[in-house]
Amino acid sequence: MIKVRTVFEKKGRAKYISHLDLNRFIMRVFKRSGLPIWYTEGFNPHPYIVFAMALSLGFESDCEIMDFNLTEGVSFGKIKKILNDILPEGLKILYVTTPEHKIKDIGKAEYSVECITENPEENEIFLTELQKFLELPEINVEKKTKKGIKLVDIKPLTELTNIINKSDNIVLNMRLPAGTQNNFNPMLFIDAFSAVSSVRFETGKISRTGILCADGEVFK
Amino acid sequence: MLREKIEKYLLDVQKPSRYIGGEMGSIIKNPDETDVSFAFCFPDTYDIGMSHLGMKILYSLTNSRENYRCERVFAPSEDFEKIMRENDIPLYSLENLQPVREFDFIGFTMQYELSYTNVLNMLDLAGVPVWQKERSENLSPIVVAGGPCVCNAEPLADFFDIMILGEGEEVNLELMDLYYKHKQKGSSRTEFLRDAVNIQGVYVPSFYNVEYNIDGTVRSITSDEGVPAVIHKRIISDFDKVYYPDNFVVPFTEIVHDRASVEVLRGCIRGCRFCQAGFLYRPFREKSGESIYSQAKALCENTGYDELSLASLSTSDHSDISDMLSNLIDYTEKNKINLSLPSLRIDNFSEELLEKVKKVRKSGLTFAPEAGTQRLRDVINKNVTEDEIMNTCRIAFEGGYSSVKLYFMMGLPTETDEDIVGIAELAQRIVDLFYSIPERPKGRGVQVSISTATFVPKPFTPFEFEPQDTREMIERKQKLLIDSVKTKKIKVSWHNSDVSLLEAVLARGDRRLSKVIYTAWKNGCKFDSWGEHFKFDVWMNAFKECGLEPEFYACRKREYNEIMPWEHLDYYVSKDFFIRENMKAREFKTTPNCREKCSGCGVTAMTRRACFD
Repeated sequence: MIKVRTVFEKKGRAKYISHLDLNRFIMRVFKRSGLPIWYTEGFNPHPYIVFAMALSLGFESDCEIMDFNLTEGVSFGKIKKILNDILPEGLKILYVTTPEHKIKDIGKAEYSVECITENPEENEIFLTELQKFLELPEINVEKKTKKGIKLVDIKPLTELTNIINKSDNIVLNMRLPAGTQNNFNPMLFIDAFSAVSSVRFETGKISRTGILCADGEVFK
Repeated sequence: MLREKIEKYLLDVQKPSRYIGGEMGSIIKNPDETDVSFAFCFPDTYDIGMSHLGMKILYSLTNSRENYRCERVFAPSEDFEKIMRENDIPLYSLENLQPVREFDFIGFTMQYELSYTNVLNMLDLAGVPVWQKERSENLSPIVVAGGPCVCNAEPLADFFDIMILGEGEEVNLELMDLYYKHKQKGSSRTEFLRDAVNIQGVYVPSFYNVEYNIDGTVRSITSDEGVPAVIHKRIISDFDKVYYPDNFVVPFTEIVHDRASVEVLRGCIRGCRFCQAGFLYRPFREKSGESIYSQAKALCENTGYDELSLASLSTSDHSDISDMLSNLIDYTEKNKINLSLPSLRIDNFSEELLEKVKKVRKSGLTFAPEAGTQRLRDVINKNVTEDEIMNTCRIAFEGGYSSVKLYFMMGLPTETDEDIVGIAELAQRIVDLFYSIPERPKGRGVQVSISTATFVPKPFTPFEFEPQDTREMIERKQKLLIDSVKTKKIKVSWHNSDVSLLEAVLARGDRRLSKVIYTAWKNGCKFDSWGEHFKFDVWMNAFKECGLEPEFYACRKREYNEIMPWEHLDYYVSKDFFIRENMKAREFKTTPNCREKCSGCGVTAMTRRACFD
C-alpha cells in the first residue's frame, strides 16, 4: 500500500462545492481515473480518501490537502496528469508527494480576506479603526462548537500578518489556529470587526493561502 | 457580466452549486462558434431535473452535432428566484451562464401536469412573453415543448410556439436543421412555423382553431389551410441503434436519482388500462443485451458513478432478461458498482439468477397490485395475481426480507367497498404468510406499508372516458380502508386528493384552461407538485375567476363519441381500441399482453410491421 498526498486548488466555479459534495464527487473522480486506489476493508468497502481540512463554502484555496492510498505504485507525475484530465474547471492538482507530516500535526492556517468598502475614500478610516480594534484587550466572539455556542476571546489567536491597502479593496492576511482539535474561521474576526466598525464593507474573495504545522513549518 | 452578478449572491442561497454549472461531463461550447442554440429547460429545480433521463439523452445528442449547442436550465428555488427578481438577473443557462432569451430555442420537457405553472414562471424570469401571441415576429426564441404531457398539452397550447409529439431523438435535430435554414434566410417566426408543420411530430397549436358546444364540450378542431389536420407522433424505429449518451453530467450536489442509468426498453406489452405511459410509448422495442452491456460499461467508466440502474416501464419484459442481467451483474460486482433494479418481477427467475439478484438487491420489496381484489385487477387489466404476489413475498421473506411496500389506487372505475376492504385483506394475508414461514427472519416483525393514490383518468388510455371520484367519495374510502386494517403491522398512507383533482383537470383539459393556469400563476402558484408550495384555494379561485369548473374536467363521464380536446393528436393507438378496452373493463375481462397476442391497438397500422416476430 502506497501513501499519496496531493495538494490541490479550489477556485472559480468550484468554490461553490460544499465539503460534503466534494467528498462524494471525488469518489467518482477516482472511480473514473482507473487508478489502483485502495479500498477500505469494512462491511461497505469504499475508496479511502482523506481531506486534511474542510474548506468553507465560497472560500478559494491553492493549498488543499487530499490523501489516499494506492495498492500499487504509479508515478507522481502520472497521478497528477490522470486526475487533472478528469477534474472540472476550478479543481486542479498542483503537486503529488509522499506525506511527510501527519494530519494531526496541522496547527495553523493562513487566510487572505478582501474587504471592499463602499467608497475607497473610507479605506483610511477602515484601517485606523482596525488598528484600534486590534488594540482592544480582548475580542470576544460567539463560536459554534459541537457542544453549543461558547464565548471565545480570539484576540490572542488571531495573527494579522499583513494588511494591504489597494485602492479597490483592503486585503487582510491572517494566521489562525487550525487542525483537528481547534479550528477558527477568519470570518469570526471579520464579523467582529464589522460589528463595531463605522465603515460599511463587504467581503470579496476569501482564500486559504497556507496550512502550517503547530511549529509554523509548512505542512507537507 | 452576468456571471459576476450571479456570484455576488450565490453564497446567500441554499446549495449554490446548482446555479453555477461547470460539473464534470457538462459540455461548454463557444456561442460564437455554433449556429443554433437550444436552452433545454426542466420546469422544476435542479435536484429533480438533473435526474431526468430524457434530458441527458437529448442534451448529449444535440451537442454531438458540432455546430449545435444545447445548454441546461432549471427553475430556481424560491430563495434564489427572489434574489434574481430583485437584482434583474434573468433566467440563464448553466453552461455559458447566458440569458435564456438569447437562445434560438427554449425547450421545456413536460413530464407532469403540476409543473405547468413553472413553465410560465420560467418564461417570465427569462423575460420572454408567456403568451405565444404576444411574442414578436422575430425568429427567436422559439418556445417548444415535448414530453408525455404534450399528448394533451391543450391547456398549455396558448403558451408554446411548437409542441413535439413522441420521441425526440430524430425530430429535434430535424427541427433545428430547418430552423438553421430559416435563420440564414432571415425568416419571420410565422414563416418558420408554417414550414415546421411539414415535419412529422411537429404541432403548432396556433394554427388550430377549437370551437365549443354550449355544454362546454369540444364541437370541432380545425386546422388552418395547408396545415395537417392530424399530427402523428414520432418514434424511433431502430431502438437498438438509437443514439445513447456515453457520458452524463455528474452533479456536485446530491440529486434525486444520482446514478448511471441505461434505458433497456421503450414501450410496454402489458396494457394496464389506467397507465398512460403503457400506451403513449407503444410500440414495445428493446435494446439487445450487448448494447445494454456496452452502454452501461461506457457510462460507468466515463461518469465514475458507483451505482447503475436500468430504466424501463417493465424491465422483466426484456426478452433476454436472464442473460442480460447475469452479464451486467458480473460486471458491476467486479467493479464494485451497485446495480439497482426497480420494477423487476423475480417470480420466474432461475435459482442461479435469483441468487445473483438477491446479492445486489438491497432496497425494499415493492409491489403495485393497484387494486385490492382480483375482479378489480381484471378491470384495470393489471395482470398480477395474488399467487404471484404471495410467491414473490415468500421468496423474499425466506431470503431475509421483513418489509413489503404495496401501491394501490383508489377511485378506479367500477370500484366498490369490497375492493377497498380487499386492500386491507391482501395486506393481512401477507402478514399471515410471514408468520407461517419457518425460515422467516428471526427477531423481527413484519411491516407491510400500503400507499394509496387517487386514480387520475388520463388521455390515451381506455379510462380517458371515466369520471374521477369526488373528494367526498375518496375521503369515505380512505376512512373505510383505515377501519379495515386491524394490526399495527400494516401502515396506510395516501396522496393528497386535492392534488389529484388538479392533475385530473389539467390532464384532460382544453385550451380554455390556459387562462386558469395563467391566473393561478399570477396569484402565486408555482411548484404545485411540492406539498409545501401547493395552493389549492388559489387554484380554485382561478377557476372561479375564469368561469370554469374543475369538476367539469375531472369528474364528468365522457361519451364514446365526444370529441376530446386531443382528438387531432395521434399516438398510434386508436380511439376505437380504447373504446373496446373500456367496454371489456366494464365486463371485467382482461386483454392478453402484446407478446402473447396482438390486440389490434392500431400501432401496426402506423409502423407497418408486427411488433413481435
